[in-house]
Amino acid sequence: MTVSRTSRLPDSDRVFGVATVMATILLLVTFVLIPLWAILKNSFVTPDGGIGFGNFIHYFADARFVTIVGNTFEVGISVTLTTLALAYGFAYAVQRTAMPFRNVLRIVALLPIFSPSLVQALGLQFLLGRNGFVNRTFGTEIDIYGFWGIFISDLVYAFPHAFLILSTALAVADARLYESADSLGAGAWRIFRTVTLPATRYGLASAAFVVFTIVITDFGNAVVIGGNYSVLAVEIYNQVSGQANFSMGAVIGVLLLLPAALAVIGEKWIARRQFASLTAQSIPLVVQPNRARDAAWFVYSVVVALAILSLVAIVIYASFVRLWPYNLSFSLRHYQFDVQNGIQPLWTSIYVALLTAVLSVFFVTGAAYVNHAFPMRASRILYFLAILPAAVPGMVLGLGYILAFNTPGQPVYWIYDTILIIALCNVYHYHAQGFLLATTNIKQISSTFDEASATLGATKLRTVWRVTLPMIWPTVLAVGVFFFMRAMVTLSAVIFLITPSTQLAAVSVLYLDDRGALNQAAAFAVCIMATVVAFLIITQLALRLAGIRGVSLVR
Amino acid sequence: MARSSISNTVRTSIGRLAAGVFIGATLVAAVPGISQAGDITVYTSYEEDELAAFLEAMKADLPDVNVDVLRLSTGDLRARMLAEADNPKHDVIWGWAATSMVDPRITAMLEPYSPADIDKVPARFRDKDGYWFATTGYMGAFCVNNEEMAKDNLPMPSSWQDLIKPEYEGKLVMPNPASSGTGYLHVASILQMMGEEEGWAYLDALDKNMDQYIKSGSKPCNAASAGENTIGISFALRAIKNIDEGYPITMVIPSEGAGHELEANALMKTSQNKEDAKKFLDWTVSKGAEAEYNKWKSIVTMQGRDMPEKFTSAGLPDDISTVLFEVDYGWAAENRDRIIAEWQKRYEN
Repeated sequence: MTVSRTSRLPDSDRVFGVATVMATILLLVTFVLIPLWAILKNSFVTPDGGIGFGNFIHYFADARFVTIVGNTFEVGISVTLTTLALAYGFAYAVQRTAMPFRNVLRIVALLPIFSPSLVQALGLQFLLGRNGFVNRTFGTEIDIYGFWGIFISDLVYAFPHAFLILSTALAVADARLYESADSLGAGAWRIFRTVTLPATRYGLASAAFVVFTIVITDFGNAVVIGGNYSVLAVEIYNQVSGQANFSMGAVIGVLLLLPAALAVIGEKWIARRQFASLTAQSIPLVVQPNRARDAAWFVYSVVVALAILSLVAIVIYASFVRLWPYNLSFSLRHYQFDVQNGIQPLWTSIYVALLTAVLSVFFVTGAAYVNHAFPMRASRILYFLAILPAAVPGMVLGLGYILAFNTPGQPVYWIYDTILIIALCNVYHYHAQGFLLATTNIKQISSTFDEASATLGATKLRTVWRVTLPMIWPTVLAVGVFFFMRAMVTLSAVIFLITPSTQLAAVSVLYLDDRGALNQAAAFAVCIMATVVAFLIITQLALRLAGIRGVSLVR
Repeated sequence: MARSSISNTVRTSIGRLAAGVFIGATLVAAVPGISQAGDITVYTSYEEDELAAFLEAMKADLPDVNVDVLRLSTGDLRARMLAEADNPKHDVIWGWAATSMVDPRITAMLEPYSPADIDKVPARFRDKDGYWFATTGYMGAFCVNNEEMAKDNLPMPSSWQDLIKPEYEGKLVMPNPASSGTGYLHVASILQMMGEEEGWAYLDALDKNMDQYIKSGSKPCNAASAGENTIGISFALRAIKNIDEGYPITMVIPSEGAGHELEANALMKTSQNKEDAKKFLDWTVSKGAEAEYNKWKSIVTMQGRDMPEKFTSAGLPDDISTVLFEVDYGWAAENRDRIIAEWQKRYEN
């Protein structure tokens, strides 16, 4: 069906389609594949200078390595399953019930996305560390370092990502399906199994992929709270930063790419069974209140939200006390930032984040739209390249950018050492998540609209401008907001791209934490969170002033 | 479609806004960091707070030289310099671990330079071929949490040998030598001090008491300061600063001698502004710089220093050389891969 649609297109559209698909692929090759290749080719350079699989063999033969791979998958799989279950329930409660305070609960669930990944572990340490709040208050001897520390902090860190994707998947539904199921006498569980779940299959698969890759590539939480429990992302850091061993770092980078390849196969398999759940004939589902159901979901959501809130709240609290955990009197001294550039990195971060957001609107939503609107042979390549970055640890990508772009005479050399390279690195580092977010939305808006417009003789470009854009602009905006937030908090990739004049706030948090200025690190993290929240409020107000209501920015 | 008129207006205004922001942002971002005469770029691993103080003094002494400084941790900085090796962006390396400086891949990027006043720095703190010289350094120490010690009624340790006593089981944290320079400094100095065979036997015993190996060098002291652990094997300056902050900890310098690391300075072969780069390096051995180092560093290689009060009250002797174990940096650098591989084989399974 998809192929016939392409062949029906007028010539000018086919040219436009091929041109945009190729341009998108060219961008992805330049900013994903070339940097990746620049670093990954190191994985084949053996210590004696030869080329071959020596590094892989050496590594696979190491018993330590087997343990680390095992640990990584243990954390990856357990966090993914738990996050999916919890986030699906939460998204369901927000989208499909009439429980009270849905908006507040939604915002609380999103809080972890507003801070760098090490902040969840920092909060967990304040809360459940050996000398943390719980042990100090109740005299217990909880030891959180190791598997459980990573499990909890990554669960909290990944939760909003899963929630956003699942919430989008659950946001639209065709009421006719539910009405027929109901009139056929299906019970609630059966309706869920046969109508709701199948319609959100694609969202679930995307969420699973996103969460799994976030967890296995996350460095910040694992390094703070992992104890002696080693995972691959930290091992890359050991190899590259600790021992300047790029080859071994690259070997691990190659291994982490495997999930991306698996995801492409899985996605294709699911996408073939996916149908557009909203067509021109659809009647949007309107949620009817149901006292018992709403109360049950409300309790569930409040419990989840409180768990998340406690980690965020204790970080905020710690930033306002004199000396955690010994002197808990109120103090603003941690907000004085006696670091080299004071609060300046926060402004740089905001600037970088705005630039990232703008670029992402063009490049990421563009890629998702082009991939959807012009199916052709090259689409498969486009799709693979678009989600490949999810499996790339930030450190690998960041070093790849240096190796690939710091060469005079190279066409994009001029971006090196500028703010633009940091923004581009952010765009492509989080390309997969943004791309999947946009794709999930676009897929749900039936291609019927496109076809109707095309039948009426409009060109593709005109259809984009007149029909598609008005339909998906909230998605476009949401993608921009997502990238703004990511750019504010990202760490591992940009650490290699900052320059003397472009220090970033998240890097300040990392180094403050490392230096042991825990309260100051918490204070800087609070500034980042406050900035993101302020940004959201301002954008929402701007939309209100423009007379637009009912658009959720974060999704 | 009732929404279409709203959508139209929105689309147009959003489109214009987006285009405007995009063009504006790209223009500003695209202005490259052009180096002007009098500008130099310095890469350093000095900590943020001491760096801020050093730079202030430097600006007063060298008003004509505009110094752009990038600060990263030792390992991150090395990874970045190696990745940038084909086209280095910096003119000077300042305050960076000597055991990393001797990495042949790094030394190959350097140009020998000795400031006029280099004789103030004893020869053992300089490269014999003049590629680098160290003006400051840091030394190992234990951070012991007094509250936690009192809770378990434990005696204060005073030496490496004390740390392997059974009563400290599960009370220790130290940096992982695979990821931390400080961690390697401790392991290398133990192996040199005791000899390899006895050294590994000692590390085996130490491992029995170890709660965890932490990735960074200052973290063990911070973990002990926050009471997350009892004894953190770390470095002296961290202990001094944390005591000054008000944490209930005691600094212990092991009686067998403390391992130490030098922070070295060097000139890049590829510098486009060697004149100012040299002016800066001259400044790093000047009286003005020395005065600032004295306020912040446990080891200042230039002779005849005054120790600040908070250093001595934390337990640092006036003559630091009496408590230092004389580390063989060359040996430590050459044997690094072998020692770390052995260490990981023994303790990371």
